[in-house]
Amino acid sequence: MNNHGWVARTIAGGAALALGLTMAGCSGESGASSRPENELHVAMYGDAGNVVEQKMIDAFNATSEVKIVLDKIPGGEYQSKLQTIMDTPTAPDIFFNWGGGSIKSFVDADLVLPLDDFIKEDPQLKDAFLPSVFETAVIDGKAYGIPMRGTQPVMLFNNSKVLADAGISNPPATWDELLEDVKILKDKGITPIALGAGDRWPTLMWFEYLYDRVAGEGLFQKALEGDTSVWESEESRKALGMLRELVDAGAFGTNFDSVKFTDGGSPALLASGKAGFELMGSWEYSTQQSNDATFAAEVLGYSEFPKIDGGKGNEDNLVGNTNNFYSVHKNTRYPEAARDFLKLMYSDQFVQEQVAIGNLPTTTNTEKFLDKAADPEYAKYQFNLVKEAPSFQLSWDQAYPPEATVTILTAVSQFFSGQIDEDGFIKAMQSL
Amino acid sequence: MTTTLANRRRPERAGGPEKGRPARRGGSSSSRPGFVWALPATIFFGLFALVPLVAVAVLSFTSWSGLGDPKFVGLKNWEALFEDPVMLQSLWLSLLFIALGIITQTPLSILLGVWAAGNQKNRAILSAIYFVPLLLSSAAISVLWRALLDPNFGIPGQLSWLFGDGNLLGTQTGAIAVLIFVGMWQFTPFHTLIYQGAARQIPPVLYQAASIDGAGTVRQFFSITLPQLKNSIITSVILMVVGGLTTFETVLILTNGGPGTGTTITAFHMYQEAFRRFDFGTGSAIALVLVVISTAISFAVVRVSGYDKMRSSMEGL
Repeated sequence: MNNHGWVARTIAGGAALALGLTMAGCSGESGASSRPENELHVAMYGDAGNVVEQKMIDAFNATSEVKIVLDKIPGGEYQSKLQTIMDTPTAPDIFFNWGGGSIKSFVDADLVLPLDDFIKEDPQLKDAFLPSVFETAVIDGKAYGIPMRGTQPVMLFNNSKVLADAGISNPPATWDELLEDVKILKDKGITPIALGAGDRWPTLMWFEYLYDRVAGEGLFQKALEGDTSVWESEESRKALGMLRELVDAGAFGTNFDSVKFTDGGSPALLASGKAGFELMGSWEYSTQQSNDATFAAEVLGYSEFPKIDGGKGNEDNLVGNTNNFYSVHKNTRYPEAARDFLKLMYSDQFVQEQVAIGNLPTTTNTEKFLDKAADPEYAKYQFNLVKEAPSFQLSWDQAYPPEATVTILTAVSQFFSGQIDEDGFIKAMQSL
Repeated sequence: MTTTLANRRRPERAGGPEKGRPARRGGSSSSRPGFVWALPATIFFGLFALVPLVAVAVLSFTSWSGLGDPKFVGLKNWEALFEDPVMLQSLWLSLLFIALGIITQTPLSILLGVWAAGNQKNRAILSAIYFVPLLLSSAAISVLWRALLDPNFGIPGQLSWLFGDGNLLGTQTGAIAVLIFVGMWQFTPFHTLIYQGAARQIPPVLYQAASIDGAGTVRQFFSITLPQLKNSIITSVILMVVGGLTTFETVLILTNGGPGTGTTITAFHMYQEAFRRFDFGTGSAIALVLVVISTAISFAVVRVSGYDKMRSSMEGL
């Protein structure tokens, strides 16, 4: 027995020791001193746009003693990875985000540096950006993010050739026209609207616009503030009813649940003429452009989401990603270097580089560079949409804290595929 | 028996030779290596299996979003887990996946393994081609099949008489079928390898004797090959059970747990709770459930099959 006791003690001792080490590792100081010397790490959503981020960093590193390192994290899992490392010694110094709910929990955990002191020193850090966009990263009166990359409103894209062949001369201006177009295309054997429901967030865009047009931007704001009764309101039911009508009319075909945007499925439907429309963020353009530049320039059409008669929302309201932001971690070792880097986000070079790859920064100097855009007409159209929009609602999955995302996305996809009805959707949203 | 016991205990004694420990060299010693020999493995197992397990057990009683310190909440996560309809459904789905996986993969890999153990012409080339899926990562396999199964531009789009509108991933049955099929494509080569190795170990005298007695190929297969493969079948099934319980990447990439929650198996549910909802407490509780279930199933299989007695299939040969 004694011998067994020895074994058990050894194992227990080893386990305790290892556990102790692990725990120490977890709660280890995440303070400034443990961070690498003369290095700033930027956590970045990894995609094709990273070339510009890298260029800006190279420009910064050329003159700075503190070097910036770009850590690209694959897009789909960006938020998961960020939240997992944020409160550890390996947390990034500067991190990409969408403002709003995407940084709320970090702010609550006191991990984000308020930028108000920087702004006091250099008012341009605020004044150089469109106010409506800058506000997205303001929480409880404090600024936590500097806009970077560009604004990404959601628009109704179309294949103008398909529409012309079907005798549709203009993109639908009203909901009724959209329903009519759906019928015409369906009768011709074309999927009226491409939908990458496998990704689930493209489905959510339909909800965002329907709720905004029918009930106005107030409904979602109230829900976000905690008043869940709005989901039961008459307008909410009306919006859901209209969505159901659209799905039942065969607007998305029958196999949308097996199609994704991210693997190129739904953009290909639009480009190949198998579908007439696709509701998508402004990145649809660059996606199509990288596949077939001629198609993007000559055939791809775009319009605002149709207006809805009798709806409370302004017909010029937008939804989408108001902008992307850089925020600074509170424990960064070199706040001054971070500040100087952020100043580049309103520089002429930054705007030019972004515009050239089809992004649309929301700085006050953007307008003068629009002629140099990949497609000046598209860039100007988009810029005016954003400038004129009375309200620009941040995507629901970004406006809510990340933990709500699963519930929202599951509910919208189940509603579209008919697994839950209006009551089921309302119940799911009220659970948030 | 006593000798073995004494031998096993011996190295644990700290005393040394004067307490009766025979000299280690000499070669005549039939003693098994002692505990010290197992130390590296034990340390690794402790560090990378037991320690995280204990940490997860502790976390399951806390509320933690990954930010700040975990907050102790008692049994709250566990109570919520038992009332969570998705959790219950996910357990049934996991069991279904395991059962379907075993049913589809075992017969196929036994046949292929026995075939690959032979020395027919072209066997080596065909086997090599057949083992290619083993070289691919699960993520690559999932992305590949996702593209191949695109309803408009993939295989279903070309074979509409078979797949209809191609909405394979839009129905629960379709999505489960896809996952089982991809799992079969991915893992059969591995189990085939096990059976190939095992089938090569079957002494040829058995077959020679059987053919003298007039047994044909089929009879030989059922009366010699299958019984001789018994231990390998058990090994393979246990691996399938444990592998099935932790299947994750294919679900994440192919179906994302959908449609709705139609393919949210327990391992995916765990990931979703921990890394998408950032509720590491609930995620840890689900992880513990998985540990308990897979341990229980493994024990049960070992017990029922008599594998724990380590009886050789070659006794008397």
